[in-house]
Amino acid sequence: MVQFVARRLLEAAVVVLLALTAVFSLQFLAGDPVKLFLPTDTTPKQIEEFRERLGFNDPWLVQYGRFMRGAIRGDFGNSLRQGEPALGLVMQRLPATLSLSAVAMALALGVAIPVGVISAARRNSWFDHAGIGATVLGQAIPGFWLGLMLIYVFAVWLNVLPTGGRGTWAHFILPSITLSAFVAARFARLTRSMMLDVLSQDYIRTARAKGLGPPRVLYKHALKNASLPIVTLLALQLGQLLGGAVITETIFAWPGVGRFLVQALLNRDFPVVLVGVFLTAVVYSGLNLAADMAYAWLNPRIRYQ
Amino acid sequence: MRAGRRLPLNRSGAFGLVLVAVVAGAALLAPLLSPYGPVDSNLVRSLEPPSAEHWMGTDQLGRDMFTRILYGARVSLAIGLITVGVSGAIGLVVGIVAGYLGGITDIVTMRIVDVWLSFPFILLALTVSAILGIGLQNIILTLIITGWVVYARLVRGEVLALKALDYVEAARALGAHENRIIFRHLLPNLWTPIIILSSLQVAQFIVAEAAISFLGFGVQPPMASWGNMLNEGKTYIYNAWWMTTFPGLALVLTALGVNLVGDWLRDTLDPRLKF
Amino acid sequence: MLRISAALVAALLLALTGSAPAPTAAQERPLVVALGAEPRNLMAMRTVDWTTNVQQMNIYDRLYFWDGMPPRIKPSLAAELPQTPDDLTWIIKLRPGVKFHNGDAFTSEAVKWTIEWLLDPKNESHYRPRFAFVESVETPDPLTVRIRTKEPAPILRYWLVDFTVQNPNYVRQVGNDVAARQPIGAGPYRFVRWDRDERLVLEANPNYWNKPPAIKRVEFRFIPDFSARLASLLAGESDIVKDIPPVAVEQVNRSGRAEVRGVASSRINYLALVNFKPGPLQDRRVRQAMNYAINVDEIVSNLFKGRATRTPGALSSINENVNPNLKPYPYDPERAVQLIKEAGYDPTKLEFTLDSPSGRYPLDKEASEAIAAYLGRIGIRVRVVVNEWGTHLDKIINRRTGEMFYLGWGPALEAQGTIAELFRPERTYSGFGTPNLTLEINKALPIVDAKKRQAAWHRIQVMLYTEAPWVFLWQQHDLYGVNKRVTWHPHPAEKVYLHDATWAKR
Repeated sequence: MVQFVARRLLEAAVVVLLALTAVFSLQFLAGDPVKLFLPTDTTPKQIEEFRERLGFNDPWLVQYGRFMRGAIRGDFGNSLRQGEPALGLVMQRLPATLSLSAVAMALALGVAIPVGVISAARRNSWFDHAGIGATVLGQAIPGFWLGLMLIYVFAVWLNVLPTGGRGTWAHFILPSITLSAFVAARFARLTRSMMLDVLSQDYIRTARAKGLGPPRVLYKHALKNASLPIVTLLALQLGQLLGGAVITETIFAWPGVGRFLVQALLNRDFPVVLVGVFLTAVVYSGLNLAADMAYAWLNPRIRYQ
Repeated sequence: MRAGRRLPLNRSGAFGLVLVAVVAGAALLAPLLSPYGPVDSNLVRSLEPPSAEHWMGTDQLGRDMFTRILYGARVSLAIGLITVGVSGAIGLVVGIVAGYLGGITDIVTMRIVDVWLSFPFILLALTVSAILGIGLQNIILTLIITGWVVYARLVRGEVLALKALDYVEAARALGAHENRIIFRHLLPNLWTPIIILSSLQVAQFIVAEAAISFLGFGVQPPMASWGNMLNEGKTYIYNAWWMTTFPGLALVLTALGVNLVGDWLRDTLDPRLKF
Repeated sequence: MLRISAALVAALLLALTGSAPAPTAAQERPLVVALGAEPRNLMAMRTVDWTTNVQQMNIYDRLYFWDGMPPRIKPSLAAELPQTPDDLTWIIKLRPGVKFHNGDAFTSEAVKWTIEWLLDPKNESHYRPRFAFVESVETPDPLTVRIRTKEPAPILRYWLVDFTVQNPNYVRQVGNDVAARQPIGAGPYRFVRWDRDERLVLEANPNYWNKPPAIKRVEFRFIPDFSARLASLLAGESDIVKDIPPVAVEQVNRSGRAEVRGVASSRINYLALVNFKPGPLQDRRVRQAMNYAINVDEIVSNLFKGRATRTPGALSSINENVNPNLKPYPYDPERAVQLIKEAGYDPTKLEFTLDSPSGRYPLDKEASEAIAAYLGRIGIRVRVVVNEWGTHLDKIINRRTGEMFYLGWGPALEAQGTIAELFRPERTYSGFGTPNLTLEINKALPIVDAKKRQAAWHRIQVMLYTEAPWVFLWQQHDLYGVNKRVTWHPHPAEKVYLHDATWAKR
């Protein structure tokens, strides 16, 4: 077990390193960011001075070495736009993203699992058909469009919910619905198909034959056995949620990492982009590892290899 | 999928096929279905609501929305098909090489795949397109760069499983040439999972293009793409609902159609696959 | 499972809402200004950036500012307009009795400190090049600043406008980094809190030298997406939102919550006709033809719904140095074709590339496409390339644009900042130049005498009109959506001074 985790951690470190190297190299393909941050009357001489001070005139390898030495110490350089350490700027925004993702995930599970279970238990009922319809639709609606429509209807037209920003619990409603729609649809479908699998197994029939009530059979026996793939998917989808946050946060002015990264990409603020890459790679690797471990824990037949 | 084998059609699969056929028809027949051109502007008639003349209204430059949606279908389908084709081919080759050769090749390739997969798809696509700049070729390139890994991982897994099968092992033991093993024994068994994955990827790519264009990194205006139209339309969302509603619906219905077809293909061809 | 997830949601919500400050009923609701981005920093005289400066200006106040219509320079922290006893000396008298938010006195020492601070390269101030000609700053007494320049620098008069002043004691004590996050100025509002990517909260400075602001608490809220800003205005969450699209004006006015207040901005939009590379646009007649071929008035009335003011030349109508005698080129496509043929070209064989930004200026992309359509009517094929902002600037700076590019320029209330920057080939954003023009501009720059200077700029504007280095378009109108509970008027130099805002009487 320890050996397994250690190996995976090492692999994760390699992944993070490779990701940083790739993006660091790619930034040289994009246009020169320096002029974007200087006023229009800056003379070419001053632009050159500025580049020199930032070390942009050094050869690629020198810049790369400097960046990596800094990155190991947690210093990713200063944001070009704001002149503050990029890592701090991104970290400040992490809680907002995590809280929104957590609420969205809770919402997705809270809706999807009951829907999946009930659909499976009452296969081919009207509930099942409606549920399938909703999940198919949920997977087809792009988040950004859903977000726009929700703002239009609930915030502007009916004026019952805030249009965006953070503050009260009401501010969570629209962005978390937008963010969770796709994930909820996936979970509901997966839960349903897993439950259908499990419900056809012998031991469930036995439990039923023993006279156990349907709720007990469903929740105690069937759901427990169906939970394996759901947990795996959970970890992976949490990662996708962080990705979805990019668009949701921009539309809803949510002060999180995703929106900050989009702005950094638009501004070519590469130190910030690199911190974003670093954090995403770390979080993603962590989630993948967690998924594998949860899988092994729930299913003792799997050996660590 | 051998010729002659019948695919039993269910209701949702049929509905999906109809939707896809409608979108494909719109894309192919765009010039015949509308008297306007996709970039013909007429400032005097800008932002008109839907009418008999302009079924879906006009945009801020007085361009016919219906026409632009038809031509947008071309862009979406072209992007979806090209990116799926190319990234599928790359993924197929990489996956076979990694899975078949194994050893250090496999380890290195899979670490690279992990790097790719260690990013949310949309964030990776955004980063690449921000670096490459906007334009149709660049968005296609972006989606290929970000898309091939899914195939590589799938194919590798399938190859590993196939390699362990008795008849492949037997063929190898008999000293069959590697090309023969790959082309005779592996490839035919890979088509089904690839087709299923592709059908689901098409929808993802189409939506991704729209999302990237929506954020302002995507296709070059004035080209009509649904994402572009939504990006332009959101400025006018409060006084020209048709500019966001129709492209959005087109996108949803296309994604829906492709997804339904994908589901149907998976359920009929290979129900054990879980994507 | 249901119960668990419900409990989880409840716990999360509790944890999250606990951290956010709940507005108390007793507190007056703040005035909310929605902006696209948070400030880059809050350090006076460090960064040139519209969003950043708009917020700083309310905290720091400034020596001079543009006031009225047409805008004229008025003193604010200064007591009177600067005096120039000779071409190299500038004397600024300061307003007595002004105090910084922490009680320190505002004196000539602070102005001297700020100029020396921005000239020090290690502070990385964007303003350093603008003050490069400063020889020395002296403080004969606490209310007098004497600036000596190395060469005659009439432009200094304009660089002192919107000059924000640091508090030297405070900056020395806490250092640049802290001062840039928690500013102390002498302006109408003092700093309360800055929640990153959410809001900057300010409260009225009761000791402001001018009467204390009527609105006690203001918030700048950061909403990156334009449609989201518009939504927040329509929903009544924001009170002031800039850049309402002309076509949405009616919608906002009909909402019942807000109305659009417009002002003809000093910012001009133009289509540059680049003459740096060999090609038809090096011929003056072809450039003039472009001006005849485009129906600017129709674009203004149909696309902009009249929310733009046509400019006949390179300066806006509210520019101090504008030559009022110029008349716009009329729409005359036949004349255009004739001129092109005289120059030896066939209009139907001409092909140009037009680079346009997207969403940077009102309807920029749309205007570019409309322009291309007009040129198309006389047979010229124009390929419009729409760029994301960074790419667009990059192309202009590195001279990689097509033969035409679309750009906005401002705030421009005097001639030098426009003409000397855009019509001399060596300047960063220039797209045009002739040796003769450069010569004339260089002659005008050092003229200190106001009348002679004015005459020189007027003459150059006539030259520009004939040279047709641009298709002269319009000065944009800045359209602000303003909640009806607020009385506030927009400013032609794109400033959002909240000092003048009051709650509307019901």
